[in-house]
Amino acid sequence: MSNLEQAVYPRGKIAGPFPALTSRPDEAYIDFIADARNFLLHAQQYPIADYSRKLLGEAGIGMSPDRENTRRAIDVLMQDPAVKTYYRVKRSLQEAFWNRVLESYGANRAKILEAFDAADQMGPGSVSYDAKKPLPDYARVEIHLQPGGYCFEPLAGMLYDYGLKVFMGGAADHDFVAKMGVRAAALPADGKVQRILDLGCSAGATTTALKAAHPQAEVHGIDLSAPMVRYAHLRALQQNSDVHFHQMNAAELAFPDGHFDMVLAMLLFHETPVPVARRVLQEAFRVLRPGGTLTVLDFSGDRKRDVYVMLFAELDGVDNGEPFIPPFVRSNIEDVIQEVGFELKSYDPSKALTAGRIAVKP
Amino acid sequence: MSAPQTPAGAGAGAGTGPGATAPNTTLSPEEAKWRDELPGYTRGKPIYFENEVIDHLLGIVLELGAELWTIRDRQAFTEELLREHGIDLGERLQQGRPSDALQASLKAEREAMIKRLYGRLYSRYGGDKADLKAAM
Repeated sequence: MSNLEQAVYPRGKIAGPFPALTSRPDEAYIDFIADARNFLLHAQQYPIADYSRKLLGEAGIGMSPDRENTRRAIDVLMQDPAVKTYYRVKRSLQEAFWNRVLESYGANRAKILEAFDAADQMGPGSVSYDAKKPLPDYARVEIHLQPGGYCFEPLAGMLYDYGLKVFMGGAADHDFVAKMGVRAAALPADGKVQRILDLGCSAGATTTALKAAHPQAEVHGIDLSAPMVRYAHLRALQQNSDVHFHQMNAAELAFPDGHFDMVLAMLLFHETPVPVARRVLQEAFRVLRPGGTLTVLDFSGDRKRDVYVMLFAELDGVDNGEPFIPPFVRSNIEDVIQEVGFELKSYDPSKALTAGRIAVKP
Repeated sequence: MSAPQTPAGAGAGAGTGPGATAPNTTLSPEEAKWRDELPGYTRGKPIYFENEVIDHLLGIVLELGAELWTIRDRQAFTEELLREHGIDLGERLQQGRPSDALQASLKAEREAMIKRLYGRLYSRYGGDKADLKAAM
């Protein structure tokens, strides 16, 4: 085992690419949290939705997802002990999860950071970042309650990666979700793919999956967070994947006009303030060549939602550090995609996360 | 109550919330105002029940479950390892006593566990971070 692997993977990997926690007790604790989440949160999805809609019906709340109705619905549901318990448990499990994962990886912090330094200089592929780069203030939000957020904790990439594994209830194992997103990413009509951009690449799972699917293409992943792209590069090295990571603001891309054939944004926009999202889309339009494709995989807008699904998003903003989800949902981003110049080729709200919004630069 | 509330004086959670500093911003003043009014933008410590002790008790119950399971996992793993080496420690575990060094180590772990499990009951006034040594 190399020094790098000894530092980041002292107990090997689990479920494909994820660094195992640093002790068996940590792993057992998180196993409990993961299973508790699966039963107390995921398995409750439909029963609590039915129960909540019944309460809303009895209170005479309409099903429209408009702001006023949603506010009234939250007021009604938050009077109910069972609903309150659900949201309390959700919050407590999330906090317990992060405390333990940070403690576990943190026990090895110095060695891991040395490994990042070494990996920065290694190939295939590359990483560029400026740890002192000023960041927009919205980068401070602790999305998913992740300690330090994505940008202000040096281990943020590892934390995020493990978080995704647990929060997706196993769907992220072996990069399954990332590969699904790449299968959805639309090819240009002429089939020519020389360069691909992964916007908001986080831990780089989609970036390496893009390279695997398009080995002839030059693949770039950008993210606002230096800790995220440093871990993404190290993770890609483990797969011998020749991809290029950059710490870069998606609203201010440092690429020439018409440079890319495909742009993918997977689960980026719901974590972005709406005014910034518009600028990101303008930049995606600029860096794509005519005929180039944009694929946005993210939550659906509010047109097909009822008040319960809308309030679930509103409460996730509060309970799970996702303040940008409600305005994102209400923005119906397929409209913004067209307003900045794209032609929207396909979008089915019921498949927003799996098939996405597909757009082409005319 | 309506949406989960942050109790007065709780501040911005771990102190790393977005309101902690004022770095440069790419948002206009109007956009920043829009952002600041988003529920949950600042992390805080939401309370869901009219009596916040219920919030704390639920957190404690979940934490206890995780701690109990961690011990159960360790015990089962230990028994498996011992069996592999032909060792049966049943009687000694029942009647014996850990060494002084292990007892001291267990005391430190126990104190940390008590603080982690129950400290939140006093988090409203910062009692969860109280130091026994400072009090004696």
